[in-house]
Formats: sequence, structure tokens, C-alpha cells
Amino acid sequence: MKRTIYRYGPLTRVSHWLWVIAFGVLVSSGLQIFNASPHLDASDKSNPARRVLSIGSPTDGVGTTTVFGHTFTTTGWLGWGSDGMGGATARAFPAWITIPSYQDLADGRRWHFFFAWIAIVCWVTWVISAIVNGNLKKMLLRPSDIPKLWPMQAYYLKLRKEPPPHGLYNPLQKASYTAIGFVIAPLVVITGLALSPGIDAIANPLTVLLGGRQFARLWHFTGMILLLGFFAIHLFQVLTQGVVNQLNAMITGRYRLSEHEVES
Amino acid sequence: MKRRIFLASAASLLAGCAPIGTALNNNMAFMRVIYSAEKLDEAVIGTRGLAREYPPSAVDRNFRVNGFATPSDALYQGLVADDFRNYRLVVDGAVERRQALSLAHLRAMTQQTQITRHDCVEGWSAIGEWSGVRLSDVLALAQPRSDARYVVFRCMDNDGQGTMYYESLDLHQAAQPQALLALTLNGAPLDPAHGAPVRLRVPTQLGYKSAKWVARLELVGSYANIEGGHGGYWEDQGYEWYAGI
Repeated sequence: MKRTIYRYGPLTRVSHWLWVIAFGVLVSSGLQIFNASPHLDASDKSNPARRVLSIGSPTDGVGTTTVFGHTFTTTGWLGWGSDGMGGATARAFPAWITIPSYQDLADGRRWHFFFAWIAIVCWVTWVISAIVNGNLKKMLLRPSDIPKLWPMQAYYLKLRKEPPPHGLYNPLQKASYTAIGFVIAPLVVITGLALSPGIDAIANPLTVLLGGRQFARLWHFTGMILLLGFFAIHLFQVLTQGVVNQLNAMITGRYRLSEHEVES
Repeated sequence: MKRRIFLASAASLLAGCAPIGTALNNNMAFMRVIYSAEKLDEAVIGTRGLAREYPPSAVDRNFRVNGFATPSDALYQGLVADDFRNYRLVVDGAVERRQALSLAHLRAMTQQTQITRHDCVEGWSAIGEWSGVRLSDVLALAQPRSDARYVVFRCMDNDGQGTMYYESLDLHQAAQPQALLALTLNGAPLDPAHGAPVRLRVPTQLGYKSAKWVARLELVGSYANIEGGHGGYWEDQGYEWYAGI
């Protein structure tokens, strides 16, 4: 007999989907902003000698991507591709992934800075509700969880019959919630703020600590890559563990337990 | 099968943002909401603190030239030809004492030197050593009237289609001690490409605020009736008037 439980409250569901929209917009508008100066330097001021990533178009019709001095031809994807208006042009990230699709730094920045606030509101809501409902303590990774990380992974890989004993969240869940929610997401906000001259004037040491303005831009981009990685893993898990039930739960709040699942 | 579904959903979720976003980007009412974040940013960050000052070793000797082309009209070329002897920085509008300051006058005033980073809205940064007169000292000579709220910088360059460059600061931003009317870059008088003879430096905001080829400071109560009405050339193209972020 399968049973249905009420798993997600309205606040969780609304902030989850709001966060999905905000994250999509922040990535797309962020790539639009990146396109205005498609280089990342490990330095304070721009410095080609410390260039980590550069996307360009050496000649019409050719796109190249240079990572740590190694150049790859990436025509059609990076450096040269659709201009969003039916033609092709030199641009780092292609039109189909940027907001707006055509080159428009001014509006890209507007979108980015509006949805940055939405993302921050989602994050604060999430942390406050985790504190209020007592989940925060169950969610944070503790030193005692570290030896259980591999046994949990081994269980997922079917190398082990039983998961290691754990509370509401298993050690891998705790590790990813802690890393994403309390390390990477805040760092993405902080590194983004460090790019702004107004914040730099208020909090000089922050930008200095990050290695300077261009370095902050590199960290900000790296943070986005890590969040995209989390998004990919999350999506994989949802799609492989009963996608209809999972989606339904995040929309209506009601989750159907499978036969061996315990209520949690 | 599952892998294909996974890859397809991941790609379509990301690629779905762009067309929807682009469609909304043309919706005026929606974009008014999006643009409203600027007010929040200005309220939260504002203009406080000082931009970091660097040691001389940090200076970019070949400071990047960006922005509009050096003015090529007869008026500007005439000023260049006689070494800006006929140049006057006009300070007028809502002021008690209109000023027309020669370069010699500006050079005789107290000079400030700053080695600061120029942060372009495009994302790049460069460091230069700038010397010149504090904006607040020049404004003090003209004595802004009580109805003056903004100083509008009228420049000698244009976008190639006849629209002249201009910028504006409110009087709080103009009083910021690093807001400088720069006369030199890296120890030499500004060359035409870098905004000769006078350019603005506002290191606590993005580079487009730091107008080059400044000819006139006009004090106004509102910039709503100037050009596109948003307080600056790039502001009229959708960029933020508050350029601290």
C-alpha cells in the first residue's frame, strides 16, 4: 500500500521555483555581461599575462577559446555564432543562451541586478525557515559525517547493501547542502558585489582578499560553473528517482512514498 | 534513454531562458520593474567610502583608450593647435557666480593626485595616476544656488551621429573627495585621446561616469529635460545613472 505524505510547505515550493527562474536568468544575463569583455584574469586590473580564460574570434567565421594558454577552436559555440537576429557574429557566448539574445550589455546588467535580489531573498527565506523549523541543524555537515561520505556513495553505486546510519538527511545530502547553500551561493553573491566600484569603496579589504577586481570576476564565473554542476546533479537525481512524483511534490507539496520508503 | 532525457531537459531548461527573456526585454511595463532595482542598489550601496589608492608601481603606462573618438571638429582641433590657450571651463546654470576658467587658472589651484583603478562597465580595469583639481573646489568658486541638485558635464565629443556626450552627478557625489577634474595622466598633461584638456575622474563609479573632454559644468535642479532625460549619454541607452555597481 503506497502512502502519500505532505512533504513541502508553500514557502519551500514558491521559493524553489522562484530560485529556478532567478538562477536561469542570472546565468543567461551573466553570460551576456561576460560577452562585453570575454576574458578572465587572475589579477586586480586587467592583465593579459595572467589570463585564465579568453573567448575570441581571430578571423570572421572562426571562434576560439583559450584556457590557461591552450587554444581550442569552438566555432558555432564560443567566439563565433548566432547573433540572435538571424545572422552570425563574433561573440563569446551564443545568442541562444544569453538574455537578451542579441548583444545588449545595458539590459543584461538590468536583468542580472534585479534577479540577484530575487535570489538573495530566496536564500534568506530558505535559511530563516531552516532555522525556524529546526532543519538547519540536521542539514549542516559535521566532522562526524565525513567518514560516512564514501560508504553513502558506495551504497548509491550499489557497492554496499545498506546506507550508513544517518538522520533526516544522509551524509552526501548534508555535504551538498552545506557546500552549495552555505559556501558557494554566498561566495557567488560576495564575489559579484566585489566587482562593483561602489562596494569596493566601502569594503576595500574584501576585493583585496579575493585578489582584486578581475580575480573577483574569475571567482564569480567559477561559482556559476559550480552551481551549474550542482544543478546538473540535482536534475539527474530528480529524473532518475520518479520524476513525476518529484515534480508533483514540488508543485502540490504531496509526495507518494514508495513501498520501502519511510516517512521523513 | 534516461541520459538523453536528462541532457535534453538540462539544455532546454537553460536555452528556454533566452527566448522568453528576449521577448520580455521588449515589454516596457516589465522592464520598468526590472529597471527599478537601480533605486534599491543606490539606496543600499550609495556613494560612501573611498576608492583604493595604489602605489606608483601599479600604474598602466599605456592607459587603455576607450569611448568615443577624439573630437575632430574645427573647434576642438583649434583648441589643440594652440595648446588649449583659448580653452575655458565654463561653470554656469544654477550658480551665484558664473565661471570661465582657463587651464592656467585650473593649474594654479590646489592639485590633487590619485592613483586609482578605472573600472569599465564592460568588465575590464586599468590603473592610472591622475592629477588635477577637486571638483568640489571648482564648484565652490561658482557657489551653486540652493535649487541646484545636479552638476551636468557637457563634453566636446559626440557619438558620430551628432549626439554630444554628457554625464551628471548629484551634489553629494560631486563632493566626494576623489571626484577630480583631471588635467594630467601618468605625470603628463592629458593627450587628446585621453580627454584633453580636462576629464572627470569618479573612481567610486563605473568608467562611463568619468567623462572626457569636459567643456562645461552646468548646475541644474533636474536633468529630465536634457537630451534623453536620463542624466547621461549611456544612461539614455539604458545604463544605470547610479554607476556604483
